[in-house]
Amino acid sequence: MRLIRYFFEIIRGFCITARHFFVNIFFHILNLFGIKTKRRGAVTIQYPEQRAALASRHRSLHRMMKREDGKPRCVACMLCATVCPSECIYIEAAEEDDPDIQKYPAVFIIDLNRCCFCGFCVEACPEDAIRMDTEQIELASYDRKKLVFDIDRLLE
Amino acid sequence: MKEKPMVKIFIDEKLVEAEEGKTILQAAEAAGIAIPHLCYHDAFEPRGTCRLCLVEIEGIPKLELSCSTTVKEGMKVRTQTDRVREARKGVLEFLLAEHPMDCPICDKAGECKLQDYYEEYGLFESSFAESKTRREKKRDIGKNLIHDQERCILCARCVRFMDEITRTSELGIFERGHECVVDVYDGMLIGNNYSGNLAELCPVGAITDKDFRFKTRTWFLDKGKSVCPLCSRGCNISIEHHKGFARFSLPKRVYRVRSEYNPQINSYWICDKGRYEYSYLDKNRQTTIHAVKNGQPVPMDWEQALDHCATEIKKLIYKNKTSRIAVVLHSWLSNEELFLAKKIFLDDLQAKHIYFSDLPSEEGDDFLLTSERSPNRKGALELGFDVKPFALKNVEDTIDILIVFGAFLIENFNPADIREALTHIPVKILITPQESELNPLMDLVIPSAHIAEKEGSLTNTDGIVQKFSPALVPPGSCHSELEFLSGLGKGIEENFSFYKRLSSGDAVRKKMAEDILFFREKE
Amino acid sequence: MTEIIIVLVKIIFAMMWFLVLTLYLTWAERKESAVMQDRVGANRANIMGVRILGLFQPLADAIKMFFKEDFTPPFSKRFLHNLAPFISFFFSLVTVATIPFGDVLRIGGKTIRLQILDLNIAILFVFAMLSLTIYGVVISGWASNSRWTLLGGLRGAAQLISYEVALGLSLIGLVMVFPTLKFSAFVEYQGGLLFGWLPKWGIFLQPLGFLIFFIAAMAESERVPFDLPEGESEIVGFFTEYGGLKWGLYMFTDFMKLLLISCLLTTFFFGGYHLPWLYADGFHFPWGGTWLLPHGIVVLFQVLAFNLKVFFFCWMQILIRWTYPRFRYDQLMDFGWKLLIPLSLFNIIATAVILKILG
Repeated sequence: MRLIRYFFEIIRGFCITARHFFVNIFFHILNLFGIKTKRRGAVTIQYPEQRAALASRHRSLHRMMKREDGKPRCVACMLCATVCPSECIYIEAAEEDDPDIQKYPAVFIIDLNRCCFCGFCVEACPEDAIRMDTEQIELASYDRKKLVFDIDRLLE
Repeated sequence: MKEKPMVKIFIDEKLVEAEEGKTILQAAEAAGIAIPHLCYHDAFEPRGTCRLCLVEIEGIPKLELSCSTTVKEGMKVRTQTDRVREARKGVLEFLLAEHPMDCPICDKAGECKLQDYYEEYGLFESSFAESKTRREKKRDIGKNLIHDQERCILCARCVRFMDEITRTSELGIFERGHECVVDVYDGMLIGNNYSGNLAELCPVGAITDKDFRFKTRTWFLDKGKSVCPLCSRGCNISIEHHKGFARFSLPKRVYRVRSEYNPQINSYWICDKGRYEYSYLDKNRQTTIHAVKNGQPVPMDWEQALDHCATEIKKLIYKNKTSRIAVVLHSWLSNEELFLAKKIFLDDLQAKHIYFSDLPSEEGDDFLLTSERSPNRKGALELGFDVKPFALKNVEDTIDILIVFGAFLIENFNPADIREALTHIPVKILITPQESELNPLMDLVIPSAHIAEKEGSLTNTDGIVQKFSPALVPPGSCHSELEFLSGLGKGIEENFSFYKRLSSGDAVRKKMAEDILFFREKE
Repeated sequence: MTEIIIVLVKIIFAMMWFLVLTLYLTWAERKESAVMQDRVGANRANIMGVRILGLFQPLADAIKMFFKEDFTPPFSKRFLHNLAPFISFFFSLVTVATIPFGDVLRIGGKTIRLQILDLNIAILFVFAMLSLTIYGVVISGWASNSRWTLLGGLRGAAQLISYEVALGLSLIGLVMVFPTLKFSAFVEYQGGLLFGWLPKWGIFLQPLGFLIFFIAAMAESERVPFDLPEGESEIVGFFTEYGGLKWGLYMFTDFMKLLLISCLLTTFFFGGYHLPWLYADGFHFPWGGTWLLPHGIVVLFQVLAFNLKVFFFCWMQILIRWTYPRFRYDQLMDFGWKLLIPLSLFNIIATAVILKILG
């Protein structure tokens, strides 16, 4: 009995995949002949030419926010470096003459080789100085050094 | 001294015994009950400016300051009632009414007591709608200090330190009401040798250290207890260092030195020399072994270097010429190291030439800083060394091996003279943590560790023996002189069974206590 | 002389047909699996921007494979390591010699059989060659000199040998019905009619034999759900230490076997090149109509019919490969020894009894 049911299920599975094949190939052929259908044969997005819209909370390349006068908004509090689980942020603070600012990052490096894009730095930042909303997701490089972003590149 | 009578009080239903005349806060601290306080400091008279240590005492209608109320027999104190908590919350709200919320750029953040108490009591929204008064954020009040008048909560710890400890009174509280500020008196700057303590003393981030300012954040730092080697007082310090990031190299290893409480020696304080001159730890650091054979550099690891030293000495043992070994020691070595050096060179090898070469004395003061610039001269004397200062003419005699510990020779003589004096010595070995002009004059340079990186004990100028353990990890192929000497003792095989057991500081200390009465008494 | 030229031309045509079809089976597999899974499949390979459904993909793969480093692990047995893929490849390829693509073609008084070699013992020859491919598996596993590949090779050998038994036994029923071992004779027998209207194909005479043969043959081709020798997704297989072109040969052999099985199924069970009711002079329908056709068209129809049947089985096998998960090894062995072999023995006995009853 179990054996019969087994074979029955085997055949049922075969029918399901076959159905997918025939339904999809039907739409593929219609599309091939230029007939527009509501349903497409495949759900694929042809990436470099077509792009899916990124979600509003998607975490892409970091950027450093600026003050009104163009200086970085960062005050080098190092909370992002503290919370960073992959230790990819390095900051060296320096003294600013303006007593309202006092402290600014002389060195601010994000090493994207190590970054895991968790977004903790964005959440930790008390000044809203770092955001991950550039929507740049193609960051691959042939040179590791090019993936070490300093403050000038982050301010761009 | 007559013991003061004890009184029994109850704090939070718990029976606490305290000496008569102590305050409730002191009694509670001793019993392990924490009462929040900002202005109170153990070293000063209580002043009661912060109003945070309010407690409820049975029979007294209003809340009382625990920092200035002395204990009375049968007193019943409550520190955690709703009334007390409400009061603390109110006090904190007043303190924070004028305190700027600039914790992200404040060096105190992470070890700030105001921050801690705010976390503990409330996390409330301030009901002050008025804007905060702007004051001077960056006032230079002394050679090492910057004062942020906005952050100041007027606890007057700094003022009391200047009045009661250094008795120089540069600081005062000026104006009245909400215009009240802490400032230096006209034309004065805090220039005394103990000013660094103010930054440590300040409960908030009002007084910050120029040396530490903005360098890192406090939570990155690991603390390691050690003993200050910069004078013969032997103050207890804690060395705060950054363990580093995985991929970035930091500009420095040690970020600051703070005092550790030791009532016998330094109480809560250390001098500015000990606080700010920690750069010797990394400056010109010798981290690799340099060996030269026939004018050519030879690669060597630590084991080989040790072996080389032992072989050279053994050659002299076979020729029965061990008296022709000259050793230059210094008093930055710990008791244990000096003891081993004595055993090896004086007792086993019977070398005639044993000298000391130390930093020259400088001016001390009448509080902590002594005039001696080496931490263990007293220890060397107690160990029975005849502490003869090294002179260049000492090596004019026939010397086969010269072993120099430390790079202090260069402080006392000029390099050209040293070169001339050493030319005829066939084997020259230097064991030093510091790279110096002495290096090219030697055949073999072995890097060693600083006091902060090794274990052992030091005898301070008053004869107090203090143990210490490593606060830092020695860089590169640095090993402590203790390891070198015990290795050498084993290596020359004169008295192998004796040195075999002496590879740790504790083992040497035990042996030392057996041998020398002075250390036996100190155990 | 002309005989030799004709044979050479036949060999070249058959080889071309076989190899090109195998090459495009890789494309078919990728595309079919994609369509089944709501994807598009390989479509990026292009020549001057012309893509045509990714039909250049196999060429791109081939070029890539040619230019990859031909790496032989330093710890391997060099000679055998290089030899093994060629053994598999060669013995799979030679079986194509026995496949009949169509009936005889008559050109200018010459009668050309559309089959390279009409062996008397074609079935035995095919089985012998298939058995020899096992050496490719075992030798590669051993010559790679790695314990994982050795285990993979042994696993593969055990599987192939086990299923060969069922494969052989399943055909005995068929041989009893069509008393021959010659492929051309097989196909000719299947040209007849049953009850006057049903084509006398093997599947109608030997349905159980067909099922067993199909399953066992799939197991022979080492594809999912029988891909234990290789097990690329988790268990390490026998050609782990291969790369580049030699690895490509193994993959190629896999697809070749797939095609070969389709050919054999067509020949044994689906009437080979026969279309129902098509005879040498044209269609003779059972309801009385006739549609006479010239000789050339009939041969073309036959070749097309054969190809269509082969394509159908290729499609079917790819669909199966992308539907089912892999067997566990004990299930595989149980399935082979405890189900397929008893069933095929039963099939032989049942066939014998029915044949006896029908006289």
